[in-house]
Amino acid sequence: MSLLQNIKRNLRVIFMAFEIEFRQSFTDAFVLFGIIVQPMIVAFMALWMLKDQVADYAIFVVVGSGMTGLWTTLLFQGGNSITGERWTGTLEPLSCAPAPLRAVVSGKLLANISQSLLSIAFCYTFISIIMGLPVSIAKPWLFAGSILLTVVAFIAFGLIIGSLFILNPDVQRFQNGLEFVVYIFSGFLFPIALLPMWTTPLSYILTPYWAARALHAASSGSGSNSEIYFCWAMLIVFSVVYAIASKFLFKSILRKAREDATLNMQ
Amino acid sequence: MGAIEVSNLQRDFQTTIGVFKRKKKTVKAVQDISFEIADGELFGLLGPNGAGKTTSVKMLTTLLIPTGGTARILGLDIIKDADQVRPRIGFIFGGERGLYWRLNATDNLRYFASLYYIDPAVSKKRIPYLLEMVGLKDRADEKVEGYSRGMRQRLHIARALLHDPEVLFLDEPTMGLDPVGARELRQTVRNLQSEKKTILLTTHYMFEADALCQRVAVINKGEIVAMDTPAKIKDTVNDLSVVEIEVFGIPQETFEKIKTLPVVESASVEDRDQRQLLLVHTSTSAEAIPLLIAELQGLKMGKVTAREPTLEDAYVRLVGGE
Repeated sequence: MSLLQNIKRNLRVIFMAFEIEFRQSFTDAFVLFGIIVQPMIVAFMALWMLKDQVADYAIFVVVGSGMTGLWTTLLFQGGNSITGERWTGTLEPLSCAPAPLRAVVSGKLLANISQSLLSIAFCYTFISIIMGLPVSIAKPWLFAGSILLTVVAFIAFGLIIGSLFILNPDVQRFQNGLEFVVYIFSGFLFPIALLPMWTTPLSYILTPYWAARALHAASSGSGSNSEIYFCWAMLIVFSVVYAIASKFLFKSILRKAREDATLNMQ
Repeated sequence: MGAIEVSNLQRDFQTTIGVFKRKKKTVKAVQDISFEIADGELFGLLGPNGAGKTTSVKMLTTLLIPTGGTARILGLDIIKDADQVRPRIGFIFGGERGLYWRLNATDNLRYFASLYYIDPAVSKKRIPYLLEMVGLKDRADEKVEGYSRGMRQRLHIARALLHDPEVLFLDEPTMGLDPVGARELRQTVRNLQSEKKTILLTTHYMFEADALCQRVAVINKGEIVAMDTPAKIKDTVNDLSVVEIEVFGIPQETFEKIKTLPVVESASVEDRDQRQLLLVHTSTSAEAIPLLIAELQGLKMGKVTAREPTLEDAYVRLVGGE
């Protein structure tokens, strides 16, 4: 089996998992709430809070609240879909199929992220049309590139988070805590400069931080092109690190789940 | 070399007891079991609920790591060579879980076909073939949530056969099915055996094991207590006679007293709608029947019969009348 053939068949698994996840979750009211309603609520509050604090606050809020929707959907929908597989008894056949579970989870994450990208579109519509505020993207091509890398980075980050949900269903208890930790340390809605200095290294190892920074800089034009490229480089480096780490993490976590008998919920 | 070789396999589970002062407790689900299944053989693993059947199957299908012993499938170690074992085995677990209810049968199979790296051109032909084989062709486009239990069970079989595995593990495949559905499923299992697949079937329906399996092992409390052909296992109770008495509302204390009678080897009660069937294993039915009737004095009774023992009676004797 050549490397190319292996990539091809795993890509088929990713797209199949994407299709199945997309079709199954898009009718879920909770998912629709996370994509449409929650970002609007966050946007409304952020507009009110940041009105006199940040220049070009409307686009800052579109990107920031869109990112919150992206992260919430990834964390809850991605995590819950793995827990759901455990409850419905499908995690076992998925775990002992020849295709790597990482490919299945990647497909699921891609579906979750694709759905939540709609959050940004809904926020844009809400702020520009319903609230009547001017929203323009200063560097559209760099913004598009940042979106693409954000998707890749979130999948890589989601693989790390997803592996924890495979390890143990109790991880679900920490979902809410994780949600706000990433909101805050990634600078989705306010700059991390407002946080204590000792927290900065934590932000730097989170890909959502670099994604938020690149998207804010490209949308508002507040950052130079070189700053955006630097964010892209960091996104690529950390995505590769996360992807490699997830390979080992999945291997050891699947073994641990088989030892602890946590692949099924009886 | 057998298709399945199991040697001293063990599996413990850790549980905790208590709320504040939590103590760890080790439960031995499978204790030192060994058996070998020949290529193309249909082997039954029988036992009551909680005997260790499903745990054994989960270890053999690479879903659980044993705490001791070894097992090889087609010569491959289930721990070290798990990745090579998986494409060559298929499994179904009893019940309705393990399928995507919001998808139809075809999409469920399409998804699993991709997970087994089946070429789309091949799966395009194989999926309709399997759906026809399990009798779901006409309902293939309906969501699984609308299926009956039997239909879901048949879809499980189709899923397990997608990649044409050499070894099949069927864990209580007829559990909860109506008699017609169970009969159809047994016929499907027979057809699979005629295709020379090696099959490990777990069940607690003795007539099913008797009708299908070439050899059976009886497992109780995690240990194999007997292993042979169904006929030879039945021979172990040749010295027994079974007395069946229909009763209406037998009190627990009467039943307990019957179990202590010297002529009674073991006894059990089966519920049959508003009546119960008291089953008594005895070496001498002629002596036992008057004694039993005397104990049941005052209760409404139906038919009283004495018959030859079956595999189920041998099983009851082996698992201690449970």
